[in-house]
Amino acid sequence: MEQETILQEEFEIAGGDFVNGGVASCRIKNILKEIGVDANILRRVAIASYEAEMNVVMYAKKGIMKLILTPNKVIIRVDDEGPGIPDIELAMQPGYSTATPEMREMGFGAGMGLPNIKKNADVFNINSTVNKGTNLEITINLNNKNE
Amino acid sequence: MSEPIYHSVKIDETKCIGCVVCMKACPTKAIRIKQRKARVIGERCIDCGECLRVCPYNAITPLTTQASDINRFKMKIALPSPVIYSQFGPGSMPDEILNALKDLGFDYVYDEALACEMTSIAIQEYLERNPTPRPIISSTCPVVVRLIQRLFPGLVSLIIRMEPPREIAAKNLRKELSREYKISESDIGIFHITPCPAKMVSINRPETMEKSHLNGAISIKEIYNGIMLRLKNREKKFLVQTQSQVSGIGIGWSISGGEIRGIKSDLAVSVSGVYDTIKILNDVESGKIKNIDYLECLICPDGCIGGPLTVENRFLAKSTILSLIRKFGGKSRIDTNYVQQLYEKNFFSFERDIKPKPFPPLDPNKNEAIKKLKKKEKILKTLPGINCGVCGSPDCETFAEDLVRNEQGLTVGRCVFLGESNL
Repeated sequence: MEQETILQEEFEIAGGDFVNGGVASCRIKNILKEIGVDANILRRVAIASYEAEMNVVMYAKKGIMKLILTPNKVIIRVDDEGPGIPDIELAMQPGYSTATPEMREMGFGAGMGLPNIKKNADVFNINSTVNKGTNLEITINLNNKNE
Repeated sequence: MSEPIYHSVKIDETKCIGCVVCMKACPTKAIRIKQRKARVIGERCIDCGECLRVCPYNAITPLTTQASDINRFKMKIALPSPVIYSQFGPGSMPDEILNALKDLGFDYVYDEALACEMTSIAIQEYLERNPTPRPIISSTCPVVVRLIQRLFPGLVSLIIRMEPPREIAAKNLRKELSREYKISESDIGIFHITPCPAKMVSINRPETMEKSHLNGAISIKEIYNGIMLRLKNREKKFLVQTQSQVSGIGIGWSISGGEIRGIKSDLAVSVSGVYDTIKILNDVESGKIKNIDYLECLICPDGCIGGPLTVENRFLAKSTILSLIRKFGGKSRIDTNYVQQLYEKNFFSFERDIKPKPFPPLDPNKNEAIKKLKKKEKILKTLPGINCGVCGSPDCETFAEDLVRNEQGLTVGRCVFLGESNL
């Protein structure tokens, strides 16, 4: 069921920019705090959006992260231009990672990114075209505390 | 209506001239200047004491217990923070300091450092018994607890469900002394000797229990001269009445990193200072901090030795503590089995969980809050961005926020660059 959007914000993410990686998800978090979103839901959005943002930073050329708020849902949509994921099923497996040794040195690439997003989302959709890019849609319900 | 929020500092209106110094220094933007006086917004204040440190007019007073208040009790107990060992130079030994403190009018002095060592063992036990969630965050600093409740409400479940050493010590002492001296528990007054006023909040409005085990907290500043004089006149040498069994582990709790020194995990991190604490909690909230077992956060720079109610320069204080740690060694004499027995009886556990207490949103109604958020962004674009604070809000963004929150009588004309100055 489609619902009206009550807030929409867009943030650009630059691939390879580890210095600013995390800024977009942090801004989303602060917006939701000002609106008064429940603490536990906020934490799930924070974790899922941070993981999604870092995936763009690590693997893609660039991307856009959108925050869409409806009366009952927080939706995070991430569209990137990058190498895409050849085998999504494999990428969804905990521990699977294509991170370079350098990335692993920085503490990334534990292969928990996508599984962690899925764990924190109520609905998680992922589409990818090799050599083109990846699109994620993370939906977290506002009324379900999921405790 | 809910009861007014208790805070550990008071603004003396006869001294406050409404300069912007405290408002600017406040890390949670809890201060506004109204009618030339600083005002604290209760639900935003976390009692960090930054305002107390910076006030150029000495207009902010800590609401700690007066030393004379101890006389309300038949039996008077001092429970000094190990910070006290850092205040009188590396030549003053813990036993001498404890005896000088006792001489100020206490019947008994208990070294909190020992309770710190017990707590180190209990934290280790807790980490082993609770493999998730991670990281576990220390409950020692009451300001960090308040900060998490207010700014990071989603993280309250990560705070270790264990009382800090001062409460553990007081709980144990009251029982033991009452039994030993056949005196009613209510006739025993236990006073923490504190480097910060925030302990008053956790004593007067405890988050995790019905009633604190402490009866008050006396500022180190208040007892400093008395101890110093006694240490100076040491030719008569104090009879060593209190002989502490303390080690470097307990003494070390007064500095950043001291709490994690006592635990086995290599995956423990210590952070100090209010801005660095906010930064790391932000990272924890985003799930950025993985693979960490224990996070010690202390709001004062370098830990409790940097507390606003200390006297000694904090760098000298740190050096003194490091020297004592070397002297007293890294091996605790506390009986691990005894601590484990107490742990088994839930002696360390909270009576009740910490509740999130987030800052109020822009509006209780989500749609209204979004409207206000958009309005705030629009107003912010018209403001100069100088962040001078002359309007009475700490910066342009907070001023825009105050405007959309419908602060009474507040108009954009307050901005000196846009309208008339009204400070």
